[in-house]
Amino acid sequence: MSRDLNIKVHHLTRVEGHGNIVVNMKDGVLEKAHLSIVEPPRFFEAMMKGRSFHEAAIITSRICGICSLGHQLTSLVATEDALGLEISEQTRLLRKLLIHGATIQSNVLHAYFLAAPDFLGAGSVFPLIATHKDVVLRALRMKRVANDIGDIVSGRAVHPITPVPGGFTRIPEKAELLEIKRKLLEEALPDGLETVETMKALAGAIPQFERETEYISLKNSEEYAFYEGDIFSSDSGAISVQNYLDVTNEFVVDHSTSKHAKYNRNSYFVGALARWNNNNAQLGEEAHAAAEAMGLKPNCYNSYMNTIAQVVEAVHCILDSVRIIDKLLEDGLKNEKPNQNPTRYGRGIGSNEVPRGILFHDYTYDNKGNIVKANCVIPTGQNLANIDNDMQKLVPEIIDKSKAEITLSLEMLVRAYDPCISCSVHMLEVDFIE
Amino acid sequence: MAVLTVIGIGNRLRGDDAVGPLLIDELSTLPDSQLELIDAGSDALGVLEYLEGRQEVIIIDACRMGRKPGTLVTFDPTQADIILDGDPISLHGLGLAETLRMAESLRMFSGDLKIIGIEPDSTQFSGKLSQPVQRAMKTAIEKIQDELHRVKELIET
Repeated sequence: MSRDLNIKVHHLTRVEGHGNIVVNMKDGVLEKAHLSIVEPPRFFEAMMKGRSFHEAAIITSRICGICSLGHQLTSLVATEDALGLEISEQTRLLRKLLIHGATIQSNVLHAYFLAAPDFLGAGSVFPLIATHKDVVLRALRMKRVANDIGDIVSGRAVHPITPVPGGFTRIPEKAELLEIKRKLLEEALPDGLETVETMKALAGAIPQFERETEYISLKNSEEYAFYEGDIFSSDSGAISVQNYLDVTNEFVVDHSTSKHAKYNRNSYFVGALARWNNNNAQLGEEAHAAAEAMGLKPNCYNSYMNTIAQVVEAVHCILDSVRIIDKLLEDGLKNEKPNQNPTRYGRGIGSNEVPRGILFHDYTYDNKGNIVKANCVIPTGQNLANIDNDMQKLVPEIIDKSKAEITLSLEMLVRAYDPCISCSVHMLEVDFIE
Repeated sequence: MAVLTVIGIGNRLRGDDAVGPLLIDELSTLPDSQLELIDAGSDALGVLEYLEGRQEVIIIDACRMGRKPGTLVTFDPTQADIILDGDPISLHGLGLAETLRMAESLRMFSGDLKIIGIEPDSTQFSGKLSQPVQRAMKTAIEKIQDELHRVKELIET
C-alpha cells in the first residue's frame, strides 16, 4: 500500500463559491484529504443589519435559488420567535406543505441528475437523456408538481412571496389544493414509486463504505420532523434549538474559508441520512417499504446512502402532503391575516430541516423591529468536517484502485452530501464562434 | 395576450448578477405590452418550466463573454459556444448552460430563443449594480421593445 497519490479536483471553476477536492498521500501515509469550499455566506450579518422584520425573510430567500424556501421559512420562524408572534395551525400546515414541496424537488433532482449518472457510470445527466429519456422526464414531472405546490401556496415557486412573519398574505383556495392533491396522487406518487424501482436497480453501484458518526437533525414527538422540534443528536439526545450554538461549535480550519462544526465528536452529519437515522420510526409504511426495497436500514453509517434516504423522504413527503391538504380542508380554510403585532423585541432563533440538513437563523431585533445582529448556520457548513473525515477513512481503504477510480469515489462521496456551494453565481460563459 | 416571454436570471444579492431580475422589475412598470415577464432568480433549472410551449423567448443574464463590463450582446444560443460547467458537485452546479442543453436534448422547446448577455463587472455580494451595467439596462430595454415590435409584426403577417 506504499504509494504516492495526489488528487486535486477543481470543481465548478466557473461557479463562485466552488468546492475543490484535495487528496495527498506520500509513501502510503495520508497527509491530506479534504474538501475546500471557498466563499461561505460571511456576508450574512452585514446584509441583514438594519433590516426591518418585514424584509428579513425576503432577503434571505434570495441568498440562493435552490435553497430559497428553506431560508425564507427559517427566517420567518426566527423573526416570530424574536418578536413573540404566534402563528395559527393553518399557517403551520401550509408551511409544512411548502417544505414538503421543496424537499421532493431537491431530493428527486439530486437523486436523478447527480447520483444516478454516477451509478450508471454516465459522467453526467446528459448521456442519460439519450438512453433513459423517460427517467429524465419523470424527474422533471416530479419537479413540476413540487413547483406547483410552491406556486399555489407561496405565490411563486422561486423566491416565494406570500409567506410573511405571522402567516400568509394569501390563503390558497380549496380548488387549488384539491388540484395539487390530484397531481400528488395521480402523478407524483406513481412517479415516486417508479423512482424507488429505478434506484433499487442502481443501488448495487453504491460504494460499500461505513463510518459511524454523530447524526444531527430536528426531532419532535408528532411526526418525522422537518418543521419545528428540538435538535437531536444520535450520541446525546435532545437539546433545545435555543442552544444551537452549543451544538454547532463552529471552528476555523486552514484549508477552507468556510467554518466547520463539531458537537460530541470531531464532526457530525446533517441531511436526509441523519433524519432517517434519528427519526425513521416516525415514517409510514410506504416510506419503510421504499427504504427496504432500496436496501436502506435503520442506523445506516454509509454516507453514500444519503441519496437513498432522500428518495425515501420524497415518497414520505408526497404522501404526507396529501395528508396535510386533507387536514387543511377538513378544518376548513380560513381567510386569516398574518399576525404582525410584536409582543416583544429581542433575540429569536429559527431552525428547520431543509433538504441538505438542519438550518439555523438567529436574529436580534431592536425595539423598532430592526435587526442589530444576525447569524446563519447552513447544513453544508455543518457537514464539511464530516466529509473530510469520510475522505480520510475512505482513501486508505480504496488506495489499491486506480487514481481515476479513487477520484470518482471521492467525487461521488461529496456529491452524496449534495453540498450547497451556496450563494453561487451562475453566469453563462460564452465563446462566440467567429 | 403575451406574445413574447422574457426571463431574467440572476441573484439579486450579487452585484451585477442582479441585472436579469432587475430588468424584469423595470419591464413590469411599462404599460401592458404583451410581454410575459419571469424572474427566475438563481434557479437556472427552473427556466425549463418556462420554455415549454413558448414560441418567442428572451433570456436576460449576466454573461462572461470576455468583453468590457456593461457590453451587451444579443445572441442565438446556437451561434455561441456556451460552456457547460462540467461535472457538477451539487445541484447548485446546474446552470443555464446545462438547462439549455437539456431543453434541446429533450426537444422541449422549438420556438425562437435569444439571449441578451450583459458582461458583469463585479458579482460580489452587494445590493448595487456597477455603473457600466446600470447603463446597459437602458439598451437592454430598448432591445426588448424592438424584439416585441418584431414579434408583433411577424404575427400580423
